[in-house]
Amino acid sequence: MSKKAERQLSRRDFLRGVGALTGALTLESVTGSRVEASETEVAPDAVGVLIDLTRCTGCRTCEAACKAAHGFPPPDGGETSLSADTLTYVDVRENVEGADGPLHVKRQCMHCVHPACASACTVGALHKTPEGPVTYNAGKCIGCRYCQYACPFGVPAFQWEETLGLIAKCDFCINRLEEGQQPACVSDCPTGALKFGKRRALLREAAARMDTHPDRYLNHVYGEHEAGGTSMLYLSPARFEDLGFPELGSQPIPRRAEFVMKQTPMVALTVATAASGLCWLRTRREESGACVEAGKKERTKR
Amino acid sequence: MSVTTRYPERTRPAPITVSQIGIAILSLLTFTGVMAGIWRLIVGLGEGTALSNAYPWGVWIGFDFTLIAFSGSAFTMASVVYLLQRAEYRPVMVPAVLAGLLGYAAVLFFLFLDLGRWDRFHHFILYWNVHSPLFEICWCVLLYTTVLFLENSPLVLERFGLEKPVELIHRYVIPISVAGLTLSSLHQSTLGTLYLNMPHRLHPLWYSPLLSLLFFLSSVMAGLSLAMIAYVAAGRIWREAVNSELLGGLARGVAGVTLLYVSLKLGDIVQAGELSALLAFDRMSWLMGAELGLGAVLPALLFLIPAVRRSRRGQVSGAILVLFGVLMNRFNATLFAQTTPSGETYSPNSIEWLSAMGIVAGAVLAWYLAIRYLIEPEDAAHAVAHH
Ligand code: SF4
Ligand code: SF4
Ligand code: SF4
Repeated sequence: MSKKAERQLSRRDFLRGVGALTGALTLESVTGSRVEASETEVAPDAVGVLIDLTRCTGCRTCEAACKAAHGFPPPDGGETSLSADTLTYVDVRENVEGADGPLHVKRQCMHCVHPACASACTVGALHKTPEGPVTYNAGKCIGCRYCQYACPFGVPAFQWEETLGLIAKCDFCINRLEEGQQPACVSDCPTGALKFGKRRALLREAAARMDTHPDRYLNHVYGEHEAGGTSMLYLSPARFEDLGFPELGSQPIPRRAEFVMKQTPMVALTVATAASGLCWLRTRREESGACVEAGKKERTKR
Repeated sequence: MSVTTRYPERTRPAPITVSQIGIAILSLLTFTGVMAGIWRLIVGLGEGTALSNAYPWGVWIGFDFTLIAFSGSAFTMASVVYLLQRAEYRPVMVPAVLAGLLGYAAVLFFLFLDLGRWDRFHHFILYWNVHSPLFEICWCVLLYTTVLFLENSPLVLERFGLEKPVELIHRYVIPISVAGLTLSSLHQSTLGTLYLNMPHRLHPLWYSPLLSLLFFLSSVMAGLSLAMIAYVAAGRIWREAVNSELLGGLARGVAGVTLLYVSLKLGDIVQAGELSALLAFDRMSWLMGAELGLGAVLPALLFLIPAVRRSRRGQVSGAILVLFGVLMNRFNATLFAQTTPSGETYSPNSIEWLSAMGIVAGAVLAWYLAIRYLIEPEDAAHAVAHH
């Protein structure tokens, strides 16, 4: 059997073609991996909530307040996870090292400074407002659920029970904020475990609390730097990894993908140019006017 | 080595043949799949699937990503024939480009079933988010399916003697192929980029800054391999001998790309300091071992042996191994290598399986019928530019 076909295709042209594409994509991938974590820019007036686990008694008033503010039926008993009608719940953590009794961890959307959910969303239904809240436009959402994978905190919940399901997540009570009120959970919290304010001021407050009671707090504000920072800031007596908080670097989650996505026009241009050029070269070599020689009838039938 | 098989004469009227049984099974699967799909659309995703907030994506997405990679058969073969000007590969290209179109059609059905708001399927056209990999994938799939329609339309147009549009497509076949290759390199790699947003979920053996490139390369591997399988299958349907040299040439291409893929992947694992995870012999290391060892290293080495490249059995088994490897890779990335903090699990329910089987069976059936009744083998031999 002749090896002509084999040699012609793979060695010379084929790998050359693949090589050009690979080059373009490698450049994209490798440079993408070297993106430095940049200073996380937070708008000076961005708001946040300081959640002090040492002050939370686990009364679950915030759960009920949140449901009432969003028109959901009141909770029957304590919730154990975020869901389509539970935008916040109190996670009870028993036997945690460094705590006397059980610790109560209020969970909700962290309102990231660089939200991966918003970066990933196919149709831009999730949006980071300069004021801090990460909002959701239910009118755009197609229910693809990519945001559920992109969020490092497992926050967005899907309406599994609906025929036409959408996403649900804490909206920072954006409507109440616009009316000059505090988020429902913060307003109703009876112990002062939740404190609403400017993120910068809250960070100063957190530092002050840790300074005054170094025995009471771990020297770490979760959310100050995690994944580029979050609007929700936690103070705790116990290690955060023991409380189910993910260990995230200070690099915003969406940086890498965003860098690669930015190269899209460059990659498209490179591939299109390389492909056209290759075709043109091949044609010239075969001294044919048209790029494809017409009527090359090569029957394979024997 | 003998490369031809003698096929029995067509006998007519025939007793029930293998192909008739095959058609019956595929039709039945398609029908139950349609029923299951309609059921899912009526009851919603909660009742229709086993998906949950911990596993929002299931087998449907696994099939989506696998089918897109397999449908790389179209852009790879169109590039070989029109851009590299290897006209002798036309007989391989025609079944491969047709398989590509049907693969993407299947993907659209899967996406439709998977969207919570399938009634807003078109929203990516109205609302843009250029940061989103999924946004880019949606656009590329839309545009590329159009390219595939154009590339396949002469098969139908010629049946109706519509020479004008066919001539138009012939005239612009090069730009159409360049567009196909460009759109494919974009979205095949962006499927990998999509995972860059999940460092907290995807196991480190799979998570890599090279994901975009690795997804693109594996789509070339899978595309060429599927083209080989489709060509062999079309040969049987046409009762024509297939050209073993062409298969050998493609096998060589597969070996080259697969070796490149394997070295990048292994280099990346070593560079990331995950070699111990690869050799840990736990669940994840076995999964990666299977997809990389059985599905990439083995076929690449096999295809380096000239005798394997020349034998029909070698060609077919090598291609099937590569397809197995890429299928594993896409399912691992979407399902098995995804970690959940709560340790929840997911196992697809019967609606998901039936609809998935139905969509795949429908695509295979449509491909079979088109190859059998729409395309004359000589059309394939000098497709598109045969005037
Ligand atoms: S801010 Fe509003 S929506 Fe968010 S947890 Fe508190 S009450 Fe619920
Ligand atoms: S916690 Fe999750 S859902 Fe909330 S802003 Fe961050 S990424 Fe988005
Ligand atoms: S489910 Fe909705 S909000 Fe989430 S990524 Fe998809 S379109 Fe965006």
